[in-house]
Amino acid sequence: MNTILDVTDLVKVYPGFTLDHVSFSLEEGKITGFIGRNGAGKTTTLHSLLSLLTPDGGEIRFWGMDIREHEQEIKQRIGFVSAGMSFYTKQKLRKITAITRSFYDNWDGAKYQSCLKVFSLDENKTPEMLSNGMKIKYMLALALSHNADLLILDEPTSGLDPVSREELTEIFLQLSEEGKTILFSTHITSDLDKTADNILYIAGGKLRAACSLKEFIASYLLAEYTKDDADAASPLLIGVRRSKEGFTALVRTEDAGKLSLPTRTANLEEIMVHLEKEA
Amino acid sequence: MLGKLLKKEWALCMHPAAWIMLGLSTLILIPNYPYGVSFFYVMLGIFFISMGARENHDVMFTMTLPIGKREVVTARILFAVELELISLLLSACMILLHGKLLNAPNGAGMDANLALLGEGFILYGVFHLLFFPAHFRDVSRIGLPFVAASIAVFVLITLDVVLSYALPFWRDVLDTPDPSNGKTKLVFLLVGAAFYAFSTLLSLHLSQKRFLKLDIR
Repeated sequence: MNTILDVTDLVKVYPGFTLDHVSFSLEEGKITGFIGRNGAGKTTTLHSLLSLLTPDGGEIRFWGMDIREHEQEIKQRIGFVSAGMSFYTKQKLRKITAITRSFYDNWDGAKYQSCLKVFSLDENKTPEMLSNGMKIKYMLALALSHNADLLILDEPTSGLDPVSREELTEIFLQLSEEGKTILFSTHITSDLDKTADNILYIAGGKLRAACSLKEFIASYLLAEYTKDDADAASPLLIGVRRSKEGFTALVRTEDAGKLSLPTRTANLEEIMVHLEKEA
Repeated sequence: MLGKLLKKEWALCMHPAAWIMLGLSTLILIPNYPYGVSFFYVMLGIFFISMGARENHDVMFTMTLPIGKREVVTARILFAVELELISLLLSACMILLHGKLLNAPNGAGMDANLALLGEGFILYGVFHLLFFPAHFRDVSRIGLPFVAASIAVFVLITLDVVLSYALPFWRDVLDTPDPSNGKTKLVFLLVGAAFYAFSTLLSLHLSQKRFLKLDIR
């Protein structure tokens, strides 16, 4: 499997926040979910990848090329979509596209027209006339039409209704089947349960996990117990939280046998919530 | 790539008010008016363009395109240069028209003559030096850099009015109807153009240096 992106020891220091030696890599054709609570460092990391931020340390290499030396070449092969952005709100999509396409060597007009049809986009509309979901679809259409090999998506499903989120996750799966690599930041972990191959989990500016989703899920179990249960105060319990029936906590899979508490498989959200509580 | 970026500036960033400001070179047809003000309106147009660009997340959009960070600054400053050169061209037409229609000296500063274009170059040069490097230190801040540049420009416009009464060289040589003292006015125009070129290059250098350090969020 080819490595698309290699991030090594990425550091960005702000007053009160440090992105602390973040390292990970992306494999071709895989969907990687980038999770963490708000302010954990997801957007800082993604913006550093695009040179929107100037890192204080570390190295970012796309397809083996350093972003600082090959920025234009690399950006020809990247599509960036962010839920929070709305460009040129009063300009028609037709005009924005006409300008955008002129920058890309591999612009595929037929593909763009096909995206418009599939995403039901009207080029005569302006961004301010589009819902959040449609704006994201338009940005995706632009990214796909220049044949981006890597899609960097910053919270693309944030603020969308469940049906639109489902539509988008289906699109991501299809793109992955076509060989596109997707890095997808979100705090809505249920979207990743359905789509992600790999997981990056960041908390407090530090990357806590970088592995396959299956491996990540398999490494924890969820214990549900009451205060009267034996082992209720065990130090092996991670991120103890109150629940309606008593308490829940994570247990490392290898430690589960050491406790007498009932456990079950945890989903991504439960793992994240408990790890955040522990942090 | 710079050509494409300039096309993007005209298509997506040009503010409707900036067209009107360009049209205000017609102020040169008003008798007894400080004609330097017509150049200030173009600077106001550039201010509106910068405001519109900020509201439309232009820098973020541009940075996602396959270009280098430095080029964002170059394109914006060259766009301003294009607008200013158009304004100077329109002003030159208005100066010719003024000569044909009015042919009267100006009681409020420089006459409508060749030296006025030199003054325009100087005002635009000062604007570049003060506005762009401060703006590109933090692209979300436009008001303060513009106020600082505007104060300097108005001080110079006022100085022009004062000199047109107080300084013999200004009053008797530069501030006279064309074609008298044509050679001296041409030299003044060339000096203004040279200052403009120098200050624009310096502004570009400083703005790029600051923008490269800027985190875009």
